[in-house]
Amino acid sequence: MIKVENLSKSFGGLKVLENVNVEIKKGECVAIIGPSGTGKSVFLYCLNALQTHDGGKVYINGADISDKKTDINKVREKMGMVYQNFNLFSHLSVLENIILAPVKVKKIPREQAVEKAQKLLEVVSLVDKMHSYPDELSGGQKQRIAIVRAMAMDPEIVLFDEPTSALDPTMVGEVLAVIRSFAKLGFTMLIVTHEMNFAREVAHRILFMDEKGIYESGTPDEIFNNPKKPKTIAFVRKLKTFNYKVDSYNFDLVGMNARLELFCAKYNIERKKIDNVNLALEEMITYTLQNCFERPSPPNIDITVEYGDVDKTIEIEIVHNGKNIDPFETKSLKAADDGGDMDELGLFIVKNISSSIVYKSENGVNKYKIKI
Amino acid sequence: MNIFSNIQQSFYNNLIAGNSYLQILSGLKTTLIITIAGLFLGTVLGAALCAMHYSNSKILRFISRSYIIIVRGTPILLLLMLLFYVVFARCRMEAIYVAVIAFGLNGASHIAEIMKAALQSVDPGQVMAARTLGFTKFGAFYHITLPQAGEYARPVYQNAVINIIQWTSVVGYITIADLTRVINSIGARTADPFFLIFTGIIIYLLLAYATHLIFSLAGRKRRAAR
Repeated sequence: MIKVENLSKSFGGLKVLENVNVEIKKGECVAIIGPSGTGKSVFLYCLNALQTHDGGKVYINGADISDKKTDINKVREKMGMVYQNFNLFSHLSVLENIILAPVKVKKIPREQAVEKAQKLLEVVSLVDKMHSYPDELSGGQKQRIAIVRAMAMDPEIVLFDEPTSALDPTMVGEVLAVIRSFAKLGFTMLIVTHEMNFAREVAHRILFMDEKGIYESGTPDEIFNNPKKPKTIAFVRKLKTFNYKVDSYNFDLVGMNARLELFCAKYNIERKKIDNVNLALEEMITYTLQNCFERPSPPNIDITVEYGDVDKTIEIEIVHNGKNIDPFETKSLKAADDGGDMDELGLFIVKNISSSIVYKSENGVNKYKIKI
Repeated sequence: MNIFSNIQQSFYNNLIAGNSYLQILSGLKTTLIITIAGLFLGTVLGAALCAMHYSNSKILRFISRSYIIIVRGTPILLLLMLLFYVVFARCRMEAIYVAVIAFGLNGASHIAEIMKAALQSVDPGQVMAARTLGFTKFGAFYHITLPQAGEYARPVYQNAVINIIQWTSVVGYITIADLTRVINSIGARTADPFFLIFTGIIIYLLLAYATHLIFSLAGRKRRAAR
């Protein structure tokens, strides 16, 4: 159905895609994942010639889309596309949005198109909004309408370009549910997404993109549970960890806390533990910034938080390249331990809430591992 | 009582006596003809300039840009005099045609800018979405870009229309008996300029108001669909 041979694409001097080869069969649902800026969306845009590619061939149902003799509009009629920011026609009502292309491009009689639109709106339970205008809808509703608009053309292939990236977290679910229900109907689908759980559940095949092409591909199980190549392994691992880099004395503590909370929420970690992790991180960063780095040279602290499913502990790893001081060996802390000098109260607290602290210093790199 | 009868007297002297009101009506007609014909010419030319601006040809883009810079920066009165006393001086074209051409040329530069701005404010993502649904380039322009750009342009275009109406008051310089000139000459005859100037202002105000009504009616029609 879709066959890509040696596809290359560059912007100016920057090569984004190089020698991409892939074949997608009818009825297959393929999820495209990978880090930002690795050409996932560009790849999708090349498939329906929204971006012209520089090298290689793209065949849709056997038609070479870069061939001048191919009527690209006819090819596109069979390829629906759903965008990150919906792109609904703002001057038309929901119904007009849906039937515009069927009536004007496919020349279907209006009554028939309206009937079909109604049926599709029932599927996404938005019949009530038929006469509303896009600016009266929520993001999730807009995206569901955009999906219906694509489906109203009876496409054989549907391309989704990060369909939930512009949505509030509360609205992601309703859009994914709609995509899921269409996936069950056997449409050929390509979905660029950052929703890993969704990709794992709905896709038959995962394409992991990096290094200007498809870096690794396989079934969801192969990619998420048994990745073979290093970047895939790192990517999948990163999904399970929280990473933060402190590179300024005035780093965004509130922002970091908020992101950490989101991470913890994914694993249903109890409130008290989250507070403790936040507290330990804040104290350790403050201590390290004050004692191991000297202004104005910028600090460099890498933080990794990982949740162990088995023993329900949270492991914090802090790596920095400042002075190698083991905070838990300094005299003052020992004194504090005895209830004496309370200068290092912060470290004292960290010591009390953690179950183990390991300090290592190698080649000018200092590493703390704190378990909570 | 005295003031009231004074006004009554002025009204009779200035507007009724010697069929002055007929002269004023004919001046109004001239003003309207120049405005409407000039606007029409300006819109057609403006659309052409706007199309040239978006064309692939460097030369056409250059012509469009320089035209807009030069004509928009030239006072309409000087343009009018240039056309009447220099360009069309030999062929003895009727002054009113010269005025229509001048306002068409001048209006085109403003209207082209309005159209450019309106087209730019249409979300390119929506055009892209139309293309992926199978619309041709023209189809996407006709069904998506045009109606939205029209909506953006409406209030600014209305302004341009009112501007042209008011600027037509200078055509008296090239011998045309438009509303302003008629009022001026009646005032000179009756030696009561205040009353006539006041009348003239009111007529121009009414024209501006009528323009506003026409445009908001067009807007309401569109919004009624919602």
